[in-house]
Amino acid sequence: MKKILALLLALAMALSLVACANSNTPDPTKDPNAGTQETQKPDDQQPSGDKIDINVIAAEYGQNTKKWWADFQDEFNKTYENINLVVEVVSWNDIYTVVNTRLGSNPPDILNIDVFADYQADDLLLPAKDYVSEETYAKFYEAFLDQSVVDGTVWAIPDLASARAMYYNVDILEAAGVDKVPTTWDELKAACEKIKAYDSSIYPWGIDMTTDEGQAAFAYYIWNNGSDFTDADGNWILNDPKNVEAIEYAVGLVNDGLTNTDPANETRYDLQDLFGAGKLAMVIGPNSIPTYIADNYAKANTPKEEQINYAFAAIPTNGGNPSVSAGVMDRFMCFDNNHSAEKIEAIKTFFDFFYEDNRYSDWVLMEGFLPATSAGGEIVAASDPAMAPWVDIVGSCKFYPTAKAEWADVKQGVINVEQQALLGGNVQELLDNLQAEIAG
Amino acid sequence: MSKATAPKAVSTTKKDPYSGKRVLRKVEPYIWIAPSVILMAIFILIPIISVFRMALNNVSKTGQLKGFNNFANFTKILKTPAFAMVLKNTLVWTIVVVVLSTVLGFMLALVLNNKFRGRKIARAIVVFPWATTLVIQASAWGFIINKDYGTLNTLLMKLRIISEPVNWTPTPEAYFGWEIACGIFVTIPFVTFCVLSGLQSIDGSYYEAATVDGATYWQKLFKITLPLVKSSLTVSTVLNIIYVFNSFPIIWTMTKGDPANRTDTLVTYLYKLAFYNGRQGEAAAVSVIGFLILLICASVYMIYTLRKGDGDL
Repeated sequence: MKKILALLLALAMALSLVACANSNTPDPTKDPNAGTQETQKPDDQQPSGDKIDINVIAAEYGQNTKKWWADFQDEFNKTYENINLVVEVVSWNDIYTVVNTRLGSNPPDILNIDVFADYQADDLLLPAKDYVSEETYAKFYEAFLDQSVVDGTVWAIPDLASARAMYYNVDILEAAGVDKVPTTWDELKAACEKIKAYDSSIYPWGIDMTTDEGQAAFAYYIWNNGSDFTDADGNWILNDPKNVEAIEYAVGLVNDGLTNTDPANETRYDLQDLFGAGKLAMVIGPNSIPTYIADNYAKANTPKEEQINYAFAAIPTNGGNPSVSAGVMDRFMCFDNNHSAEKIEAIKTFFDFFYEDNRYSDWVLMEGFLPATSAGGEIVAASDPAMAPWVDIVGSCKFYPTAKAEWADVKQGVINVEQQALLGGNVQELLDNLQAEIAG
Repeated sequence: MSKATAPKAVSTTKKDPYSGKRVLRKVEPYIWIAPSVILMAIFILIPIISVFRMALNNVSKTGQLKGFNNFANFTKILKTPAFAMVLKNTLVWTIVVVVLSTVLGFMLALVLNNKFRGRKIARAIVVFPWATTLVIQASAWGFIINKDYGTLNTLLMKLRIISEPVNWTPTPEAYFGWEIACGIFVTIPFVTFCVLSGLQSIDGSYYEAATVDGATYWQKLFKITLPLVKSSLTVSTVLNIIYVFNSFPIIWTMTKGDPANRTDTLVTYLYKLAFYNGRQGEAAAVSVIGFLILLICASVYMIYTLRKGDGDL
């Protein structure tokens, strides 16, 4: 009897294991980060009654994102009773894996993420005009939509952006005798030398050439030397003489001891920490730096007198070129899941609801980002004076060429070039090799 | 096997009242091991098969398989200049960490096997590095050696040994050295406890007999202790080769393989290939190459140490 009981128990265990495995397989998105939104399981294949299901995967930008989407979902579902919207918020660490796994069995209808070209290259997306109403489509900054064009078609729409500028420690510059905030590379180098002479324990200039975001450094210097990743026709020009000059200038600053010690290993966050601690005089950073530094001070209970006095200015340039800010933009895209006409209408409704001016500016302000629509920009600028100059900057900044299929390789390639150059490599040769590899 | 025996047993059910039990006895072991077999199939076999499949296929950046590509992933990887360096790093990393941690762990086990006051506390302290997550360990090491706010510089400056902060990681090689040191530090406890368990099972009378015969300490160490803990050492070394070779957190936390692949091992390299470059097919190929290297190393080592028969294990 005991044996039979034991046997039954073992069988039950084995079966439950199989059952667990089965229930896990179709929904690999179950991760602890996905949070409360998972109470309603997205399942596109089974419409809930006569409601139209829309499932969305959204990136988790910060601590407020989940709550914001949960409220949005409730409000939307209450307003449109014929639609059942389910939003899953997934952390940046997992989102690519989650999406790639879901593509095989149960692709989301709408995805909020940074890149789109890889999905487009696999013919998985719908053109933006198919799923966004004309009224909403007209709200976006033209320059933003241009970033999502492949073969003359816009495939994704911007949800928010961030922009970069040069932050400087006002007190250090003053004490070191730097009267004017540097606007050119020559002035920047002169200012760095003055700061170094004033106090050798302070790093004058911050550079991040790490795997994390080394491509940003590449962009800051080449854009502000009047060059780019590609020419006007979209061909890669990575080894352009101006690009070589730009990277040599940046690496030169490191070799002259005017920067943080280890640019290949010190990420943007390390630099922001050094800047906040008053050990770094100047650094290029995103519009979220004030929030970041204030949060750190609050966490560490930093007394007022130890907090730094800082401001921001345009990124210094070379050769009389206008200063260019680097923009980073995230997107919404719609997967081509053979949607019915009704469903397309429901998706249009979703975007109209999302981009409604007040709701949209609320979304942008929620995590301190910048808007991608002009109306949103006006509201944001009016509601927060500190954001106003940024709204101007974001309207005119440059973006990485993420619409090009080779971007992932270019990104890692330029980081590798920078790091090799830091180790003493010849920038011209390195960029020639990279250009040959990318452009074939 | 269960398939072949089951029908035979069923056909005799009506005739023999005890045959039910017999069937049970035959099937029972398979039921007991079923959960672990299912678990292994789900979490080991299926991923292995899918990695091999990816390595042989053209994989798009969104992870879709686009058909067999005639080993292009492998040829592309082998032609990449960084790959040779990464392979060399991996071998240096594995050999140095495994050899040094085995030697040091063995010595520590000999010390801890002696009876002394506070032995229990000493043993507990040895477990600490093992019981802490590797990411935390690596972050702590990174924090200690940091030039700007590191505790090592602060300590040395307080002791007035140095007057200004020293950059402990001026070159990629220095960084790699620190990573290896961290690797050794976290691996020692495992070796120590494996050896310690072997040491405790050695009968004291061997040593008494050797002492009576006038054997020196070294003779006892090499003629009695080492042969008798060989099986424990084999287990710990083989497992360590596998763990260290595949170790990801230390290098990823401290340098991410930067600068320019100088501190990359196969595992961090393939992670970057897959999740930063979106080249999942090539990453899978690197994974397969690593798997084969490990298979060869571990088999050679096991055959070499255990060729005298199963008796030792």
